[in-house]
Amino acid sequence: MHVPDGFVSGGVNAITYIISAGISVFAVREANKKLGDKQVPLLGVVAAFIFAAQMLNFPVAGGTSGHFLGALLAASLLGPWMSCLIMTVVLTIQCLLFADGGLTALGTNIFNMGIIGGVLCYYILVALKSIFPKNKSGYLVSVAISSLMSVVLGASACAVELAISGTSPLGIVLPAMASVHVLIGIGEAIITTAVVGLILNTRPDLVGTYSYQDAGTFNTMEA
Amino acid sequence: MKHSFLDNYSDIPSVIHGLDPRVKIIGFFFLTVVCVSTPASSYFSFSVYFAVLLGVLLLSKLPFHHVFGRSMAVIPFVLMVAVFIPFLKKDVIGGGYNLGIGGLTVSNSGLMVLWNVVIKSYIGVLCMILLSSTVPFPKLLKGFEDLGLPKIFTTIASFMYRYVFIITDEAQRMKRARDSRCFGGKWIWHSKVIGHMIGTLFIRSYERGERVYVAMLSRGFDGDLKGKERAQRLRSGDYIFLSVLIPIVTGVRLMV
Repeated sequence: MHVPDGFVSGGVNAITYIISAGISVFAVREANKKLGDKQVPLLGVVAAFIFAAQMLNFPVAGGTSGHFLGALLAASLLGPWMSCLIMTVVLTIQCLLFADGGLTALGTNIFNMGIIGGVLCYYILVALKSIFPKNKSGYLVSVAISSLMSVVLGASACAVELAISGTSPLGIVLPAMASVHVLIGIGEAIITTAVVGLILNTRPDLVGTYSYQDAGTFNTMEA
Repeated sequence: MKHSFLDNYSDIPSVIHGLDPRVKIIGFFFLTVVCVSTPASSYFSFSVYFAVLLGVLLLSKLPFHHVFGRSMAVIPFVLMVAVFIPFLKKDVIGGGYNLGIGGLTVSNSGLMVLWNVVIKSYIGVLCMILLSSTVPFPKLLKGFEDLGLPKIFTTIASFMYRYVFIITDEAQRMKRARDSRCFGGKWIWHSKVIGHMIGTLFIRSYERGERVYVAMLSRGFDGDLKGKERAQRLRSGDYIFLSVLIPIVTGVRLMV
Protein backbone atom coordinates (compact mmCIF):
# COMPACT_ATOMS: atom_id res chain seq x y z
CA MET A 1 0.00 0.00 0.00
CA HIS A 2 1.70 3.18 -1.12
CA VAL A 3 0.49 6.04 1.07
CA PRO A 4 -0.08 9.26 -0.95
CA ASP A 5 0.57 12.80 0.27
CA GLY A 6 -1.74 14.27 2.86
CA PHE A 7 -2.91 11.02 4.43
CA VAL A 8 -0.46 10.95 7.33
CA SER A 9 0.21 13.91 9.59
CA GLY A 10 3.39 15.95 9.70
CA GLY A 11 4.52 14.35 12.96
CA VAL A 12 4.15 10.81 11.64
CA ASN A 13 5.92 11.82 8.43
CA ALA A 14 8.80 13.39 10.34
CA ILE A 15 9.28 10.41 12.67
CA THR A 16 9.14 7.80 9.90
CA TYR A 17 11.45 9.90 7.71
CA ILE A 18 14.03 10.06 10.50
CA ILE A 19 13.78 6.32 11.22
CA SER A 20 13.94 5.40 7.52
CA ALA A 21 16.85 7.70 6.79
CA GLY A 22 18.80 6.43 9.80
CA ILE A 23 18.22 2.78 8.92
CA SER A 24 19.06 3.41 5.26
CA VAL A 25 22.40 4.94 6.21
CA PHE A 26 23.08 1.94 8.44
CA ALA A 27 22.01 -0.38 5.61
CA VAL A 28 24.47 1.29 3.22
CA ARG A 29 27.28 0.67 5.71
CA GLU A 30 26.30 -2.96 6.28
CA ALA A 31 25.96 -3.60 2.55
CA ASN A 32 29.39 -2.05 1.98
CA LYS A 33 30.92 -4.38 4.56
CA LYS A 34 29.39 -7.48 3.00
CA LEU A 35 29.87 -6.89 -0.68
CA GLY A 36 32.24 -3.99 -1.27
CA ASP A 37 32.00 -2.47 -4.70
CA LYS A 38 30.21 -5.52 -6.06
CA GLN A 39 27.03 -4.30 -4.45
CA VAL A 40 26.43 -1.48 -6.89
CA PRO A 41 25.73 -3.33 -10.14
CA LEU A 42 24.22 -6.25 -8.27
CA LEU A 43 21.88 -4.17 -6.15
CA GLY A 44 20.92 -2.17 -9.21
CA VAL A 45 20.01 -5.25 -11.18
CA VAL A 46 18.13 -6.83 -8.28
CA ALA A 47 16.28 -3.54 -7.76
CA ALA A 48 15.34 -3.59 -11.45
CA PHE A 49 14.18 -7.17 -10.95
CA ILE A 50 11.94 -6.25 -8.00
CA PHE A 51 10.60 -3.37 -10.08
CA ALA A 52 9.79 -5.66 -13.01
CA ALA A 53 8.40 -8.41 -10.79
CA GLN A 54 6.01 -5.95 -9.19
CA MET A 55 4.44 -5.50 -12.60
CA LEU A 56 3.25 -9.11 -12.69
CA ASN A 57 -0.10 -8.89 -10.98
CA PHE A 58 -1.52 -11.94 -9.32
CA PRO A 59 -5.17 -12.57 -8.66
CA VAL A 60 -6.70 -12.20 -5.20
CA ALA A 61 -10.18 -13.49 -4.43
CA GLY A 62 -13.08 -11.33 -5.56
CA GLY A 63 -11.72 -10.06 -8.84
CA THR A 64 -9.10 -7.80 -7.30
CA SER A 65 -5.43 -8.28 -7.88
CA GLY A 66 -2.40 -7.58 -5.81
CA HIS A 67 1.16 -7.29 -6.83
CA PHE A 68 4.26 -8.75 -5.43
CA LEU A 69 6.08 -6.79 -2.72
CA GLY A 70 9.36 -8.65 -2.78
CA ALA A 71 10.89 -7.25 0.40
CA LEU A 72 11.05 -10.59 2.15
CA LEU A 73 12.21 -12.35 -0.99
CA ALA A 74 15.12 -9.92 -1.23
CA ALA A 75 15.80 -10.32 2.49
CA SER A 76 15.85 -14.11 2.37
CA LEU A 77 18.24 -14.03 -0.57
CA LEU A 78 20.49 -11.07 0.19
CA GLY A 79 20.01 -10.32 3.86
CA PRO A 80 18.03 -7.61 5.65
CA TRP A 81 20.19 -4.58 4.93
CA MET A 82 20.47 -5.07 1.22
CA SER A 83 16.76 -5.77 1.04
CA CYS A 84 16.08 -2.53 2.88
CA LEU A 85 18.39 -0.64 0.52
CA ILE A 86 16.77 -2.11 -2.57
CA MET A 87 13.27 -1.36 -1.32
CA THR A 88 14.32 2.21 -0.50
CA VAL A 89 15.54 2.75 -4.06
CA VAL A 90 12.51 1.03 -5.63
CA LEU A 91 10.01 2.97 -3.52
CA THR A 92 11.75 6.29 -4.16
CA ILE A 93 11.69 5.71 -7.89
CA GLN A 94 8.07 4.60 -7.83
CA CYS A 95 7.27 7.81 -5.99
CA LEU A 96 9.20 10.03 -8.40
CA LEU A 97 8.34 8.38 -11.70
CA PHE A 98 4.91 6.89 -11.19
CA ALA A 99 3.60 9.12 -8.41
CA ASP A 100 2.99 5.86 -6.58
CA GLY A 101 3.10 7.01 -2.97
CA GLY A 102 3.54 10.64 -1.97
CA LEU A 103 6.80 12.49 -1.59
CA THR A 104 6.09 13.60 1.96
CA ALA A 105 4.90 10.07 2.79
CA LEU A 106 8.01 8.43 1.35
CA GLY A 107 9.52 7.92 4.80
CA THR A 108 6.32 6.20 5.89
CA ASN A 109 6.27 3.97 2.81
CA ILE A 110 9.91 2.99 3.26
CA PHE A 111 9.18 2.24 6.91
CA ASN A 112 6.12 0.09 6.11
CA MET A 113 7.54 -1.85 3.20
CA GLY A 114 11.32 -1.67 3.41
CA ILE A 115 11.99 -1.73 7.12
CA ILE A 116 9.07 -3.81 8.35
CA GLY A 117 8.99 -6.00 5.24
CA GLY A 118 12.71 -6.29 4.73
CA VAL A 119 14.39 -5.98 8.11
CA LEU A 120 11.84 -6.90 10.77
CA CYS A 121 10.44 -9.84 8.81
CA TYR A 122 13.96 -11.06 8.12
CA TYR A 123 14.38 -11.52 11.86
CA ILE A 124 10.96 -13.18 12.03
CA LEU A 125 12.24 -15.56 9.35
CA VAL A 126 15.41 -16.25 11.36
CA ALA A 127 13.35 -16.88 14.51
CA LEU A 128 10.89 -19.17 12.71
CA LYS A 129 13.73 -21.05 11.08
CA SER A 130 15.06 -22.03 14.48
CA ILE A 131 11.65 -23.33 15.60
CA PHE A 132 10.76 -25.41 12.56
CA PRO A 133 12.54 -28.66 11.60
CA LYS A 134 15.98 -27.94 10.22
CA ASN A 135 15.40 -29.08 6.65
CA LYS A 136 14.18 -27.69 3.37
CA SER A 137 10.45 -27.91 4.05
CA GLY A 138 10.86 -26.38 7.49
CA TYR A 139 12.76 -23.54 5.89
CA LEU A 140 10.15 -23.02 3.18
CA VAL A 141 7.36 -22.96 5.76
CA SER A 142 9.15 -20.23 7.67
CA VAL A 143 9.68 -18.30 4.42
CA ALA A 144 5.95 -18.59 3.69
CA ILE A 145 4.89 -17.39 7.15
CA SER A 146 7.32 -14.51 7.28
CA SER A 147 6.40 -13.28 3.80
CA LEU A 148 2.73 -13.36 4.77
CA MET A 149 3.71 -11.39 7.87
CA SER A 150 5.66 -8.86 5.79
CA VAL A 151 2.52 -7.85 3.91
CA VAL A 152 0.13 -7.97 6.86
CA LEU A 153 2.44 -6.18 9.28
CA GLY A 154 3.23 -3.51 6.69
CA ALA A 155 -0.47 -2.89 6.07
CA SER A 156 -1.22 -2.86 9.79
CA ALA A 157 1.56 -0.35 10.41
CA CYS A 158 0.03 1.75 7.66
CA ALA A 159 -3.38 1.53 9.37
CA VAL A 160 -1.89 2.55 12.72
CA GLU A 161 -0.16 5.53 11.11
CA LEU A 162 -3.40 6.61 9.46
CA ALA A 163 -5.17 6.33 12.82
CA ILE A 164 -2.49 8.34 14.65
CA SER A 165 -2.77 11.01 11.96
CA GLY A 166 -6.52 11.24 12.55
CA THR A 167 -7.38 10.25 8.99
CA SER A 168 -9.39 7.13 9.83
CA PRO A 169 -10.42 5.61 13.15
CA LEU A 170 -8.25 2.61 14.06
CA GLY A 171 -11.25 0.37 14.68
CA ILE A 172 -12.26 0.61 11.03
CA VAL A 173 -9.06 1.01 9.08
CA LEU A 174 -7.08 -1.70 10.85
CA PRO A 175 -9.50 -4.58 10.19
CA ALA A 176 -10.10 -3.32 6.64
CA MET A 177 -6.43 -3.08 5.75
CA ALA A 178 -5.44 -6.25 7.60
CA SER A 179 -8.17 -8.42 6.07
CA VAL A 180 -7.48 -7.35 2.50
CA HIS A 181 -3.78 -7.76 3.02
CA VAL A 182 -4.11 -11.23 4.50
CA LEU A 183 -5.38 -12.26 1.06
CA ILE A 184 -2.61 -10.38 -0.73
CA GLY A 185 -0.16 -11.82 1.80
CA ILE A 186 -1.26 -15.38 0.97
CA GLY A 187 -0.45 -14.69 -2.67
CA GLU A 188 2.86 -13.15 -1.62
CA ALA A 189 3.63 -16.20 0.53
CA ILE A 190 2.87 -18.68 -2.26
CA ILE A 191 4.95 -16.73 -4.74
CA THR A 192 7.87 -16.09 -2.41
CA THR A 193 7.95 -19.76 -1.40
CA ALA A 194 7.81 -20.89 -5.03
CA VAL A 195 10.59 -18.46 -5.97
CA VAL A 196 12.83 -19.45 -3.06
CA GLY A 197 12.14 -23.14 -3.69
CA LEU A 198 13.06 -22.77 -7.34
CA ILE A 199 16.25 -20.90 -6.55
CA LEU A 200 17.17 -23.50 -3.90
CA ASN A 201 16.95 -26.15 -6.60
CA THR A 202 18.99 -24.28 -9.19
CA ARG A 203 21.36 -21.86 -7.43
CA PRO A 204 21.29 -22.72 -3.72
CA ASP A 205 24.30 -20.48 -3.15
CA LEU A 206 22.10 -17.46 -3.85
CA VAL A 207 19.76 -18.12 -0.93
CA GLY A 208 21.69 -16.38 1.80
CA THR A 209 19.47 -17.42 4.71
CA TYR A 210 19.44 -21.13 3.85
CA SER A 211 22.25 -22.78 5.76
CA TYR A 212 21.48 -26.51 5.80
CA GLN A 213 23.26 -29.34 3.95
CA ASP A 214 25.47 -27.00 1.99
CA ALA A 215 29.12 -27.93 1.93
CA GLY A 216 30.99 -26.05 -0.74
CA THR A 217 28.76 -23.10 -1.55
CA PHE A 218 29.66 -19.66 -0.30
CA ASN A 219 27.37 -18.16 2.22
CA THR A 220 28.30 -14.57 2.72
CA MET A 221 25.01 -13.19 3.84
CA GLU A 222 24.29 -15.50 6.77
CA ALA A 223 23.21 -13.62 9.87
CA MET B 1 9.46 -4.02 -27.03
CA LYS B 2 6.84 -2.10 -25.17
CA HIS B 3 8.42 -0.18 -22.38
CA SER B 4 7.66 3.40 -23.14
CA PHE B 5 6.27 3.71 -19.62
CA LEU B 6 9.24 5.87 -18.62
CA ASP B 7 10.40 9.11 -20.15
CA ASN B 8 7.58 9.27 -22.67
CA TYR B 9 7.42 13.03 -22.88
CA SER B 10 10.50 14.05 -20.94
CA ASP B 11 12.44 15.42 -23.88
CA ILE B 12 9.94 17.44 -25.87
CA PRO B 13 11.14 21.03 -26.36
CA SER B 14 9.55 23.53 -24.01
CA VAL B 15 10.45 26.23 -21.52
CA ILE B 16 9.92 23.92 -18.58
CA HIS B 17 11.85 21.04 -20.12
CA GLY B 18 14.77 23.39 -20.69
CA LEU B 19 15.14 24.27 -17.01
CA ASP B 20 17.88 22.78 -14.87
CA PRO B 21 16.73 19.56 -13.15
CA ARG B 22 17.83 20.87 -9.75
CA VAL B 23 15.53 23.84 -10.06
CA LYS B 24 12.56 21.66 -10.92
CA ILE B 25 13.32 19.24 -8.07
CA ILE B 26 13.50 22.11 -5.56
CA GLY B 27 10.41 23.81 -6.97
CA PHE B 28 8.12 20.76 -7.03
CA PHE B 29 9.38 19.40 -3.69
CA PHE B 30 8.80 22.79 -2.13
CA LEU B 31 5.28 23.02 -3.50
CA THR B 32 4.45 19.48 -2.30
CA VAL B 33 5.71 20.10 1.22
CA VAL B 34 3.98 23.47 1.52
CA CYS B 35 0.75 22.01 0.16
CA VAL B 36 0.77 19.16 2.69
CA SER B 37 1.32 21.63 5.51
CA THR B 38 -1.57 23.88 4.44
CA PRO B 39 -4.71 23.71 6.62
CA ALA B 40 -7.56 21.94 4.84
CA SER B 41 -9.93 24.89 5.17
CA SER B 42 -7.91 27.33 3.05
CA TYR B 43 -9.53 26.57 -0.26
CA PHE B 44 -7.92 29.65 -1.81
CA SER B 45 -4.40 28.31 -1.24
CA PHE B 46 -5.21 25.01 -2.89
CA SER B 47 -6.72 26.72 -5.91
CA VAL B 48 -3.56 28.82 -6.26
CA TYR B 49 -1.34 25.72 -6.02
CA PHE B 50 -3.49 24.08 -8.64
CA ALA B 51 -3.32 27.17 -10.85
CA VAL B 52 0.48 27.23 -10.54
CA LEU B 53 0.68 23.59 -11.59
CA LEU B 54 -1.72 24.23 -14.44
CA GLY B 55 0.49 27.10 -15.60
CA VAL B 56 3.55 24.84 -15.52
CA LEU B 57 1.57 22.20 -17.42
CA LEU B 58 0.61 24.69 -20.13
CA LEU B 59 4.17 25.96 -20.45
CA SER B 60 5.54 22.44 -20.62
CA LYS B 61 3.31 21.50 -23.60
CA LEU B 62 2.68 18.09 -22.08
CA PRO B 63 -0.50 16.44 -23.37
CA PHE B 64 -3.30 16.80 -20.80
CA HIS B 65 -4.44 13.20 -21.09
CA HIS B 66 -0.95 12.04 -20.10
CA VAL B 67 -0.83 14.12 -16.93
CA PHE B 68 -4.44 13.70 -15.81
CA GLY B 69 -4.60 10.07 -16.84
CA ARG B 70 -1.60 9.22 -14.74
CA SER B 71 -2.85 11.27 -11.82
CA MET B 72 -5.58 8.65 -11.38
CA ALA B 73 -2.92 6.58 -9.60
CA VAL B 74 -4.12 8.07 -6.35
CA ILE B 75 -7.69 6.73 -6.60
CA PRO B 76 -7.30 3.18 -5.22
CA PHE B 77 -5.89 4.40 -1.93
CA VAL B 78 -8.54 7.08 -1.54
CA LEU B 79 -11.27 4.54 -2.25
CA MET B 80 -9.91 2.06 0.21
CA VAL B 81 -9.00 4.29 3.13
CA ALA B 82 -10.75 7.58 2.98
CA VAL B 83 -14.01 7.44 1.11
CA PHE B 84 -16.06 6.12 4.01
CA ILE B 85 -14.77 8.63 6.55
CA PRO B 86 -17.60 11.18 6.10
CA PHE B 87 -20.15 8.50 6.86
CA LEU B 88 -18.47 7.24 10.00
CA LYS B 89 -16.87 10.20 11.69
CA LYS B 90 -19.20 11.91 14.16
CA ASP B 91 -19.36 15.67 14.34
CA VAL B 92 -18.38 17.25 17.62
CA ILE B 93 -20.68 20.16 16.95
CA GLY B 94 -23.79 19.61 14.85
CA GLY B 95 -24.00 20.37 11.16
CA GLY B 96 -23.92 17.05 9.40
CA TYR B 97 -26.27 16.14 6.62
CA ASN B 98 -28.81 13.38 6.87
CA LEU B 99 -29.06 11.49 3.63
CA GLY B 100 -32.26 9.81 4.69
CA ILE B 101 -31.27 6.49 3.20
CA GLY B 102 -31.09 3.86 5.89
CA GLY B 103 -30.00 6.41 8.46
CA LEU B 104 -26.81 7.32 6.65
CA THR B 105 -25.35 10.59 7.78
CA VAL B 106 -22.53 12.62 6.34
CA SER B 107 -20.55 14.62 8.87
CA ASN B 108 -18.89 17.96 8.27
CA SER B 109 -15.65 17.05 9.96
CA GLY B 110 -15.52 13.80 8.04
CA LEU B 111 -16.00 15.62 4.75
CA MET B 112 -13.20 17.94 5.79
CA VAL B 113 -10.86 14.99 6.40
CA LEU B 114 -11.79 13.53 3.02
CA TRP B 115 -11.26 16.85 1.24
CA ASN B 116 -7.94 17.26 3.06
CA VAL B 117 -6.51 13.92 1.89
CA VAL B 118 -7.95 14.12 -1.62
CA ILE B 119 -6.67 17.59 -2.48
CA LYS B 120 -3.25 17.11 -0.89
CA SER B 121 -2.62 13.73 -2.44
CA TYR B 122 -3.83 14.99 -5.81
CA ILE B 123 -1.57 18.04 -5.82
CA GLY B 124 1.34 15.85 -4.64
CA VAL B 125 0.72 13.41 -7.48
CA LEU B 126 0.52 16.23 -10.03
CA CYS B 127 3.84 17.64 -8.79
CA MET B 128 5.58 14.28 -9.16
CA ILE B 129 4.10 13.67 -12.62
CA LEU B 130 5.14 17.11 -13.84
CA LEU B 131 8.63 16.61 -12.43
CA SER B 132 9.15 13.16 -13.95
CA SER B 133 7.59 14.12 -17.29
CA THR B 134 9.79 17.15 -17.80
CA VAL B 135 13.18 15.67 -16.83
CA PRO B 136 14.69 12.55 -18.43
CA PHE B 137 15.47 10.09 -15.66
CA PRO B 138 19.30 10.11 -15.96
CA LYS B 139 19.26 13.91 -15.68
CA LEU B 140 16.93 13.68 -12.71
CA LEU B 141 19.45 11.44 -10.94
CA LYS B 142 22.24 13.83 -11.83
CA GLY B 143 20.19 16.65 -10.36
CA PHE B 144 19.71 14.73 -7.11
CA GLU B 145 23.40 13.98 -6.96
CA ASP B 146 24.29 17.64 -7.47
CA LEU B 147 21.88 18.47 -4.67
CA GLY B 148 23.83 16.20 -2.33
CA LEU B 149 22.00 12.87 -2.30
CA PRO B 150 24.49 10.11 -1.32
CA LYS B 151 26.09 8.70 -4.42
CA ILE B 152 25.34 5.09 -3.59
CA PHE B 153 21.61 5.69 -4.02
CA THR B 154 21.95 7.46 -7.34
CA THR B 155 24.35 4.82 -8.64
CA ILE B 156 22.06 1.95 -7.66
CA ALA B 157 19.17 3.84 -9.21
CA SER B 158 21.05 4.47 -12.45
CA PHE B 159 21.92 0.77 -12.76
CA MET B 160 18.34 -0.04 -12.05
CA TYR B 161 17.24 2.32 -14.79
CA ARG B 162 19.60 0.69 -17.26
CA TYR B 163 18.43 -2.82 -16.53
CA VAL B 164 14.76 -2.32 -15.85
CA PHE B 165 14.02 -2.27 -19.58
CA ILE B 166 15.94 -5.47 -20.26
CA ILE B 167 14.30 -7.23 -17.34
CA THR B 168 10.87 -5.92 -18.26
CA ASP B 169 11.38 -7.30 -21.76
CA GLU B 170 12.39 -10.59 -20.22
CA ALA B 171 9.27 -10.57 -18.04
CA GLN B 172 7.06 -9.71 -21.01
CA ARG B 173 8.53 -12.53 -23.08
CA MET B 174 7.86 -14.95 -20.25
CA LYS B 175 4.34 -13.62 -19.89
CA ARG B 176 3.70 -14.05 -23.61
CA ALA B 177 5.07 -17.57 -23.50
CA ARG B 178 2.81 -18.32 -20.55
CA ASP B 179 -0.27 -16.81 -22.17
CA SER B 180 0.33 -18.64 -25.45
CA ARG B 181 0.18 -21.86 -23.45
CA CYS B 182 -3.38 -21.02 -22.39
CA PHE B 183 -2.71 -19.86 -18.87
CA GLY B 184 -5.96 -18.58 -17.40
CA GLY B 185 -4.54 -17.37 -14.11
CA LYS B 186 -7.82 -16.75 -12.36
CA TRP B 187 -7.23 -18.53 -9.09
CA ILE B 188 -4.89 -18.21 -6.23
CA TRP B 189 -3.36 -21.65 -6.81
CA HIS B 190 -2.13 -20.44 -10.17
CA SER B 191 0.24 -18.16 -8.33
CA LYS B 192 2.71 -21.02 -8.22
CA VAL B 193 3.23 -20.53 -11.95
CA ILE B 194 3.87 -16.85 -11.36
CA GLY B 195 6.21 -17.82 -8.55
CA HIS B 196 8.26 -19.97 -10.88
CA MET B 197 8.30 -17.20 -13.47
CA ILE B 198 9.54 -14.72 -10.91
CA GLY B 199 12.13 -17.23 -9.71
CA THR B 200 13.45 -17.72 -13.22
CA LEU B 201 13.42 -13.98 -13.71
CA PHE B 202 15.42 -13.53 -10.52
CA ILE B 203 18.07 -16.05 -11.49
CA ARG B 204 18.42 -14.53 -14.93
CA SER B 205 18.65 -11.02 -13.46
CA TYR B 206 21.13 -12.02 -10.79
CA GLU B 207 23.37 -13.83 -13.23
CA ARG B 208 23.17 -10.82 -15.49
CA GLY B 209 24.25 -8.67 -12.55
CA GLU B 210 27.22 -10.95 -11.94
CA ARG B 211 28.22 -10.86 -15.62
CA VAL B 212 27.89 -7.09 -15.68
CA TYR B 213 30.08 -6.82 -12.60
CA VAL B 214 32.75 -9.06 -14.10
CA ALA B 215 32.64 -7.09 -17.35
CA MET B 216 33.00 -3.87 -15.41
CA LEU B 217 35.90 -5.27 -13.37
CA SER B 218 37.73 -6.27 -16.53
CA ARG B 219 37.33 -2.70 -17.76
CA GLY B 220 38.92 -1.27 -14.65
CA PHE B 221 35.95 -0.66 -12.34
CA ASP B 222 37.14 0.11 -8.82
CA GLY B 223 33.90 0.93 -7.08
CA ASP B 224 33.57 4.44 -8.42
CA LEU B 225 31.88 5.48 -11.63
CA LYS B 226 34.13 7.79 -13.58
CA GLY B 227 33.27 10.33 -16.19
CA LYS B 228 30.66 12.24 -14.25
CA GLU B 229 30.63 15.83 -15.40
CA ARG B 230 30.57 18.71 -12.94
CA ALA B 231 27.31 20.40 -12.10
CA GLN B 232 26.27 23.01 -14.63
CA ARG B 233 25.72 26.60 -13.61
CA LEU B 234 22.16 27.78 -13.33
CA ARG B 235 20.92 30.04 -16.10
CA SER B 236 18.68 33.07 -15.83
CA GLY B 237 15.57 31.04 -16.74
CA ASP B 238 16.21 28.80 -13.74
CA TYR B 239 16.37 31.77 -11.39
CA ILE B 240 13.19 33.21 -12.89
CA PHE B 241 11.33 29.90 -12.40
CA LEU B 242 12.26 29.71 -8.72
CA SER B 243 11.77 33.40 -8.07
CA VAL B 244 8.24 33.19 -9.47
CA LEU B 245 7.20 29.88 -7.94
CA ILE B 246 8.58 30.15 -4.41
CA PRO B 247 7.25 33.66 -3.54
CA ILE B 248 3.76 32.83 -4.88
CA VAL B 249 3.55 29.57 -2.96
CA THR B 250 5.05 31.00 0.22
CA GLY B 251 2.88 34.10 0.03
CA VAL B 252 -0.33 32.15 -0.39
CA ARG B 253 0.61 29.82 2.44
CA LEU B 254 1.45 32.66 4.83
CA MET B 255 -1.76 34.54 4.04
CA VAL B 256 -3.80 31.83 5.74
